[in-house]
Amino acid sequence: MPIQDKGPQGSRKRVTRRQFLHRAGWAGVGAAALSAVPRRAGAQGASPYPEWVSPSTKPPKRGGTLTRASAWDPPVLDPRLTQSVGLFQFAGLTSNRLVRYVFPDEASGPGDMGLKGDLAESWSASPDHRVWTFKLRQGVKWQNVPPLNGRELTSADIKYCFEAYAKEGVQTFNFREIEGIETPDKYTVRLHMQTPNVFVAHALAEPISVIFSREVLEEDGDLKKRCIGTGPFILKEHTRKVKVVLQRNPDYYDKGRPYLDEYVILITPDDATRKAAFRTGQTDFIWMASPSEVETIRKTNPNAVVQAYHNTAVFFGLAMSQDKPPFNDVRVRRALAMAIDRQKQVDTVFEGHGVLGWGVPYIYYQDKAPTAAQFGPWWQYKPAEAKKLLGEAGYPNGFSTTLFYYEYWPQMTSQVQLVQAELKKNLNIDVKITKMDYTTYYGRYVDPKWEGLAWGFQSGHAVGLDERTYQYMHSKSTKNFFRMNDAQIDELTIKLRQTPDPKEQRVITKKIVDREFDQVLRLWMPYDNGFMVFQPHMRNGAAIALRRTDSYGSPQIARVWLDK
Amino acid sequence: MNGDRAAVSLPGVTTAPIPTGAAAPAATVSRTRLLWLTLRRKPLGAASAALILLLVLSAIFANVLAPYDPLETHPEIRLAPPCREHLFGTDDIGRDVLSRIIYGSRISLWVGLLAVGIGTVAGMIIGLVCGYWEGRIDLALQRLMDAVQAIPGLILALAIVSVLTPNTTNAMIAIAIVIIPGNSRIVRGAVLSAKQNRYVEAAEALGCRNLHILVRHILPNVTAPILIIASIWLGNAILIEATLSFLGLGTQPPIPSWGLMLSSTGRAFMEQAPWLAIFPGLAISLAVLAFNLFGDTLRDAWDPKLRRQG
Amino acid sequence: MYKYVLRRVLLAVPVLLLSSLIVFGLMRVMPGDALTVLMAESGNIGEKELQKLRKDLRLDLPYHEQYLLWLWQMVSLRPGDSLLTGERISTSLWKAIPVTLELTALAMVLGLAIAVPIGVLSATRQDTTSDYAGRMVAVSGLSFPDFWLGTLVITFAAIWFKWIPPIGYVSFWESPTRNLQQFLLPAAVLGFRLSAATMRMTRSTVLEVLREDYVRTAWAKGLGGRIVVYKHALKNALIPVVTVIGGQLGVLLAGAVVIETIFALPGMGRLTVEAILYRDYPVVQTNVMLVAATLVTLNLVVDMTYAWLDPRIRYR
Repeated sequence: MPIQDKGPQGSRKRVTRRQFLHRAGWAGVGAAALSAVPRRAGAQGASPYPEWVSPSTKPPKRGGTLTRASAWDPPVLDPRLTQSVGLFQFAGLTSNRLVRYVFPDEASGPGDMGLKGDLAESWSASPDHRVWTFKLRQGVKWQNVPPLNGRELTSADIKYCFEAYAKEGVQTFNFREIEGIETPDKYTVRLHMQTPNVFVAHALAEPISVIFSREVLEEDGDLKKRCIGTGPFILKEHTRKVKVVLQRNPDYYDKGRPYLDEYVILITPDDATRKAAFRTGQTDFIWMASPSEVETIRKTNPNAVVQAYHNTAVFFGLAMSQDKPPFNDVRVRRALAMAIDRQKQVDTVFEGHGVLGWGVPYIYYQDKAPTAAQFGPWWQYKPAEAKKLLGEAGYPNGFSTTLFYYEYWPQMTSQVQLVQAELKKNLNIDVKITKMDYTTYYGRYVDPKWEGLAWGFQSGHAVGLDERTYQYMHSKSTKNFFRMNDAQIDELTIKLRQTPDPKEQRVITKKIVDREFDQVLRLWMPYDNGFMVFQPHMRNGAAIALRRTDSYGSPQIARVWLDK
Repeated sequence: MNGDRAAVSLPGVTTAPIPTGAAAPAATVSRTRLLWLTLRRKPLGAASAALILLLVLSAIFANVLAPYDPLETHPEIRLAPPCREHLFGTDDIGRDVLSRIIYGSRISLWVGLLAVGIGTVAGMIIGLVCGYWEGRIDLALQRLMDAVQAIPGLILALAIVSVLTPNTTNAMIAIAIVIIPGNSRIVRGAVLSAKQNRYVEAAEALGCRNLHILVRHILPNVTAPILIIASIWLGNAILIEATLSFLGLGTQPPIPSWGLMLSSTGRAFMEQAPWLAIFPGLAISLAVLAFNLFGDTLRDAWDPKLRRQG
Repeated sequence: MYKYVLRRVLLAVPVLLLSSLIVFGLMRVMPGDALTVLMAESGNIGEKELQKLRKDLRLDLPYHEQYLLWLWQMVSLRPGDSLLTGERISTSLWKAIPVTLELTALAMVLGLAIAVPIGVLSATRQDTTSDYAGRMVAVSGLSFPDFWLGTLVITFAAIWFKWIPPIGYVSFWESPTRNLQQFLLPAAVLGFRLSAATMRMTRSTVLEVLREDYVRTAWAKGLGGRIVVYKHALKNALIPVVTVIGGQLGVLLAGAVVIETIFALPGMGRLTVEAILYRDYPVVQTNVMLVAATLVTLNLVVDMTYAWLDPRIRYR
């Protein structure tokens, strides 16, 4: 008999003492929890929530504090040394970039990838796309905090910053593509690139390409202690493991903005606690991965506003050590791809609200999300053919291998175990799973010596096309975690960055994607679409393609206001 | 004597003073008989013994008792509430929870036996050596034990598991290492007090070999306290494995350990599918309860001080 | 007596050294490296950059030099900086210790307030319903993993009472009401576990004492039951209880990492465990040594109390 039928006091007569006490406890738990009606498996279909929460048409109110509970405690404040979301969930607010992507209240829809000037008013490229000139806004001031004390931003600052990025840290690969920087006057920056690249402006619009100050770096020797920029918010307080407090910058160049007085990030490592904080109104917005979680929140908070986010790319897949056997054989990779039922993962683990998985955001080569058929024959679930192909490759009885991962969220563990079961059942491949802590996982994954399989990623921050093609897929790139080594891909990605025409870019991008899928160079795995959930009074906080408000999309919080 | 203090620094773990006092000479009234009499008198003790028996039987006959393969995934029926086909419901990828709970008893027993087994045997050996020979070996070994015990238990276990690969076996080795100092101290205390018995002196005077004395006279006095503390540690080992799983360093998926089931899927789906937490939670609680109560019963049966009627 | 004290203190030194070696050794043998966390989510670790960072953090020195360096830092009370954040370890300890102390103190108060009366009740009414109920509560407190209890508490506080402790730790001096609100629930959860352990101990020792001859004599003399219990029995019964509390204190001082994680309190537990997971060697080593030193000192104090109470011990 289902448990739901028993009331809180264990309604049977003649319960033994021990039974009574245990029932009273657990049935109470069960009854209360079950007031959030659990959904039966297989709830599928379109989500009842809108994909886009339009920015409000009312005139924004100034004032108030926006609060969010975050799992990420920034370990380092130095943008040269980390790309972690822990830092950039707020560094995008204390600093600006030269160029930025559109904000929700400027966007035509959730897929708008338009560029706008941030510190640069305008920019242009030479015909061969090797020389890029940026005209800076005049009168932009650094925050009025020592040692900057509100002095004006000039081109010398930009030059200093870019040269520092090229010298050391995690962005050297990108910034070393700059051969030389000229500053003919206070408000002009001219970049000379080593090779032609049409995507320079996009690269500088990445959320991580923040402009930091010379004085702080020179005085402190690093950027670990102070986080001062030109951005809409000043870092008022950073208490490790407790909170980050950002305060409105009264001298911000975008007059009238930001609307909020303060943005507070409460460091809350536990997922259940973050949910509880949202429920009790302590926080204003939260990210949820699955529809059933959203339903449970709506039971207690029926007025919460929900945006059904749609990912245009995924960040995790089955990474194979494809520089070694058995995965260096394309037949083995194709067999694996055909033996895993990705649609089923979307339907079950993600309750229908997920994507099948691909690496290059589809908005760069087509208008609508890809359908399963589009990926080609190797990406359909055909276990019998998979087995045959694996046999042809020389492994008719399968083989043994390992898989390591870190549980970023619980759905990942579900997926890993499903993949293990399917590989065993369909191909007789024995996968031994090792779940690791973050450090061990990360250290092992980025060092290209591991063998077997890994549930691997490409960075979550990248918005630009070049980043997602050349930087991640070229065989010589240091960010090529999936260890791809394909001559066609190398050639196409370089060609792409020399192609100025957007239509042609699409064509080439599609070729890259087709090649990737044909050779199964990266075995992308399904991913959630997720939901942004807002308290009813929050405005303009919608998440937009590749820029989630709570993570790398934080700059758009400058446009958020509270209707209360 | 300060050797009796078995203050162990592990969360939720405590040990009452283990009887090391006037030890009864081996075998006027058999221990087993004492235990049986106590079980008959104390219903709680009997219940705990029965639960332990149930646990052992499930572990041994898991493949007969479990209705499904605990690893078999059916994602289409995931998160199904308890019903006729699945008495305890299904988990996040459609595996039968009842089968996983039953097989989980194997893991729990393995967990307990390994941790407690190694910890007890190693602790016993060290304690015997220290207590019997005393002198410099005793001094050195006791300092080593103090050093290990000065490091907080969970931290030590965490560090050891991080060094070895995180999995069930290594988690248990880590816990065993944490247990050893406390056990060694208890055994040492028991040995020291046993040595003061006259018949030991007599045996030495008669020229009996050390090993003979150890086994025939000292060991029997040590077994009672060790068994009592071991039975309590069996329960605690399960709890610690669950905490290590919570921190991500215990059992690996897809192995159905109760601790992993509770700390990962149980917590993640607590509101949508509470049965994923209720059943492993109950299983853990009942097992720990049973071991604790059984340990109490053993103490009631064998502690000479409590047995005294006068 | 002095010789006993001296001997015990002298013996504590090698213990601490051994502990430090164990911790140091374990941290160095762990796979993974503090450096990789500093480069989180990037792929661009050039060999040159890696070498430079390693040199800055002095990880390129041979192990024994690293150990001696750290030992010297400990002894001169300048523990150095965190590998990960660059923050001074003394600063982070200065912030974390009050949290743990407050949590520990509150948990003990709450725990004892429940445990001792119920333990005494259980003992004086042995084998009755109250005894069983008390023992049930006690044992149930010991049989749930604390992450489970904590999760239940925080989730259902939000659902049923629409209230959870305000997230975002503030110290008692900044805002007493907010601080107490933050600590009440976690201290209650910890205290519940502590009380479970202590309750059983109280019960069993009181039971033992109640059977002692002097107690029976007092009864025979006609002294009222309650007076007998409180005056004679409790005093002696509480000594082993203090031992148990001492043991639990060790756990609490190391930091109840699980409770701190769930209730977002920045105490010693999280500091140490997160440092282990991030391979932040200096932080782990320093924290563990601090706790070890505290425990060793506590043990010393307890031993000396025993020695003072029971003269036989001194002459062993």
